[in-house]
Order: sequence, then structure tokens, then C-alpha cells
Amino acid sequence: MKRLFGIFVNGLIVENPLFVIMIGLCSAMAVTTTVANGIGMGVALTFVLVMSEFIISLFRNLIPESIRMPIFLIVIAAFTTIMDLEMKAYFPALSKSMGVFIPLVVVNCIVMGRVEAYSSKQPVLDSLFDGLGMGIGFTWVLVALAVVRELLGNGTLLGFQIMPSSFEPMIFFILPPGGFLVFALWMAASNDLRRKLLAGRKPEPTQDSCCTLPENGSAEKA
Amino acid sequence: MKRWQMIKLGLILAMYTIVGCVGLAFVYNSTSKTIAQRQEADLQAGLHEVFPRATGFTPTDTVKSTNPKVIFDAAYTADGPSGPLGIAVKVRGGSYGGLTTLIVGVSTDGTITGVKVLENKDTPGLGANAASPTYYVDKATRTTFPGQFAGKRLTDPFVVKEDVLAITSATITSRAITSLVQAVGKAASDALGIGGSSQGPQAVLPSADTVRTSSRPATSTVPGVSILETSVGTKAGVIVGAAAKAKATSYDGDVTVLVGVATDGTILGVQILECTDSLGSSILAPGFAQQFAGKKAGTPLEVGANIDAVSGATFSSAGATALVKATADALVKALAGGGL
Repeated sequence: MKRLFGIFVNGLIVENPLFVIMIGLCSAMAVTTTVANGIGMGVALTFVLVMSEFIISLFRNLIPESIRMPIFLIVIAAFTTIMDLEMKAYFPALSKSMGVFIPLVVVNCIVMGRVEAYSSKQPVLDSLFDGLGMGIGFTWVLVALAVVRELLGNGTLLGFQIMPSSFEPMIFFILPPGGFLVFALWMAASNDLRRKLLAGRKPEPTQDSCCTLPENGSAEKA
Repeated sequence: MKRWQMIKLGLILAMYTIVGCVGLAFVYNSTSKTIAQRQEADLQAGLHEVFPRATGFTPTDTVKSTNPKVIFDAAYTADGPSGPLGIAVKVRGGSYGGLTTLIVGVSTDGTITGVKVLENKDTPGLGANAASPTYYVDKATRTTFPGQFAGKRLTDPFVVKEDVLAITSATITSRAITSLVQAVGKAASDALGIGGSSQGPQAVLPSADTVRTSSRPATSTVPGVSILETSVGTKAGVIVGAAAKAKATSYDGDVTVLVGVATDGTILGVQILECTDSLGSSILAPGFAQQFAGKKAGTPLEVGANIDAVSGATFSSAGATALVKATADALVKALAGGGL
């Protein structure tokens, strides 16, 4: 149980997909202009990630090595489409504002990366917790980015006016350059925390060596 | 041996695909009805938003789009307690991030009753503000971008940053929606039979008291220019000028103009009737066409020299100018040749 919890927590800070592994940045930049979009994208990706990791881990011995990529894509695309349809049916407003980014979950590097690096080699339960941890790690970063960007760029949070009406929204934060700036500041904070977390213990080598970083915590490898 | 391996892999891949497709088919079946209902409810809500007093909506096919890039998905007559109130059109056209869908209402009195953005895929926080109910282009009066069209007269120029307030940092979205609204306005006013009087050859031949179709159509020697209709204006039986409707290819669409020329070669009036360029609809504003009046057909007419381009539509402006010039030259030749 403790081991599974460790796998789950791993995705939050220590191996956060956005801040440490640095994959899936495109959609993270694009949708974080509002908090609602950030939450929607996070939940959508978590769903696809958990389901894809579950199915692929379950069938990992039945997937021939040479055609694993197309099979991963089929599984991921199927779950993305399922989620797209469900969102259109039950959350039409969210589905509209996310636009093209929901179909693009198919090619989100996080899903492909985790499926290839982790769940195609690990048991089902581990994969489920890995998917959940990575998904929530992705989601909290999106929300953190979106809170700053929506508040400063639009003066609102979740659509409610927060800033006084005299506040002139700073469009810069909505635009991509502002996104990169906010992202970099959050990443600095997160990686500082990560270093402190890792300082206490010698990081045990995780099974997927692709995504672990050198001990000094620099992100060069990724 | 190797071939069998390939076939085996192909079959395995096919198995996964089939299972995936069957799964999707089930989800699609269970959600498609809800999705269709949602869209229908959205449409009905939008129709009632642009015609709040309508008692019902009857589908109509009298409203036609003349521009292949502007698609009319559906058109409805808004029925009131005492006769039709106007026409509502669900229209689709290109914007910054893909197609955008609107509902536009046109009243029988020649005004826009309202615009509702059904779907917009532009940048969140910028172009997507077109659909936001809390984004105001005019904060003082709390007017949203589509909200500003309510009550607007169809005879207005519909030029962004002149008579239409733009969304900050989203000029392309603003222009795209404005031109869709204008296109619906034009088509609906034709269907309703309003505001059509200013669009004949009479309008560009103000000095004539009678205008008839020419017995010998003018022809242009400029390649790509086709003259569609030629008319002759007479005053007390004497020919005072001629007018022609001509069409040519512009930037990535077509442009159609109506040009009137006096017997002495002075351009009496010009109307830009249609422009199907992606961002060219801004040259339909009367201000652009008015520049030609009074100029001599024989003199060079050039954008940047004696004709000002509409900003953001330089190619369309140049295309229209060249067409006006070619048409005017053809008319001068026809007038000189006689036998009209």
C-alpha cells in the first residue's frame, strides 16, 4: 500500500509531468487562460491517462513490441473520443470553450510518454496509481497557472469578477509570453520544493529510468 | 515466415481496432441523442434571444448566401402575433481559429435584432471573448461584442473600428463576425424585400431619368473581367451615361462592382456589390466606393496613388479598383462606339 501511495505522490512534485519531465506543455500553455478550462483539461487528461494506462497495462503481454505504438494510439484515441462525446453531451459549455484541445489529448505527450515508459512494463495497480498521480500532477499545475493568468489577465476567477473594476486587465498574461513567464515562476518554486524533498533521502532508482533526473535536480536531461 | 509474421501483426492490430471501434459505437449511440438535443436547445434559445417576442419559427429557404465561404445552415421566419417579425439565420464562416457559428436576426424594418455566438473556436481570453456574456466592448453601457449589433441599421457600413467596436487584441475575430452579420443582413433584406432600391444602375447614374438595358453590351479587353449587365441612362431621350455590373477574381474570392460613367468619361458612381475575399468584406463600406465618383475614367486609378485602400484589405481594395477601372474603360469605349 505504501508503495502504491509512493507511486501516486511521485507524479505530484518529484516527477511532475510538466515541471520535471516537461512534456505536454503545448496544451498546458494553450488552455490555462481560464481556471475552468484548466480544471476541465486536467480532469479530461487524467481520465484518458488512467484509462489508457489501465488497459495497456492489462494487455501489456498481448501487445507485440513492433506494433505497440499504433496500439497505444488506438487505445488513447478511443478514450479521448469517448471523453469528448461525454463532455459534449453533459458539459457542453466546457466542451465548447476547450475547442480543439480535447481531441488533441490523443497526441498529448504525457499520455503517450507514460504509456510507453511505465504502464507497458508495469502491473495494473501500479499503472493506475501512476496515471492518477501524473494526471493530478498535471491538473494542479494547470490550475496554478490558470489562477494567476485569469486573475491578472482578466480580473476574474472561474468567471467571477475578483479584481475591483478600476483594475485594468493585463492582456499580457493571457497571451503566450505571459503564460511562459507564469509557468517559469511556478516551475522555479516547484523545483525548489522538489530539491528540498529529495535532499532528505537518496532517491531510489525508479523503474522507468527515462524520467528520473540527476540528483542535483537540474532539468537538463529532460 | 516473415510474411506470416506481418499478417499476424496486422491481424492483432485489426483486433485492437475493432474492439476500440465497437466501444466507441456504444458510447456514440448513448450520447448522440443528448448531443443533438443540446444543439437543438441551443439553437432554439439563440433564436428566442434574437427574437424575444416571436411566437414561433418557421424554416424558410428564401435566404441564400452568395458567398461560398459563408454558409447558411438554416434560416427561419420569426412569426409574431401579427405577421412575420423578420428572419433569423444560423450562419457559419471562418474566423481566427476555425469556423464560427452565429445566429443573426434581421427585422422587417431593416435593422439587426440581435446576434448570438453559438460556437467560436478562437483563442480563449481573446477571440473567444466574442461569446463571453461578461466581456464588454463598451464597459459604460455593458455592451458585449455581439450585443452591439442589436438595433444596427443594415445600411450602416459595418466596418470594424469605425462603426463596430472591436474586441481588444482580436481584430480578426471581430472582422469575421462583423462580415458574417453583414452577409446575413444583405441576404435577409433581399429575402424580405427591403432596402433593395439603392442597388440598381439608377444609383450610379444619378443624372438619368430613365435607365434601360443596353442593346449592345459593353465588353472589356482586360483578361479576367466579365461584364454581367450593361445599362444606359437617358435624360429626355438623350444618352447621358452608361452603367455596368462587372465581376473579376480578387485576392482569394470574387469581387462584383457596379460602375456608372457619364458620356464625358467621368465616373458618376461606384458600388461594390459583393466581395467574397476572406477579409475583403470591409471594402463593401460605402466610403471606399465613394472615392471613385468624379474621377475621369481615362486617368490611372491606383490604390496608394489616388485611391485609399481599406486597411486590412489591401489586396481586395486593389482588386476592386482594377475592376472599376476596367469597367469604366469598357463603358467609355461602348459610349464612344454608339449604338447603345
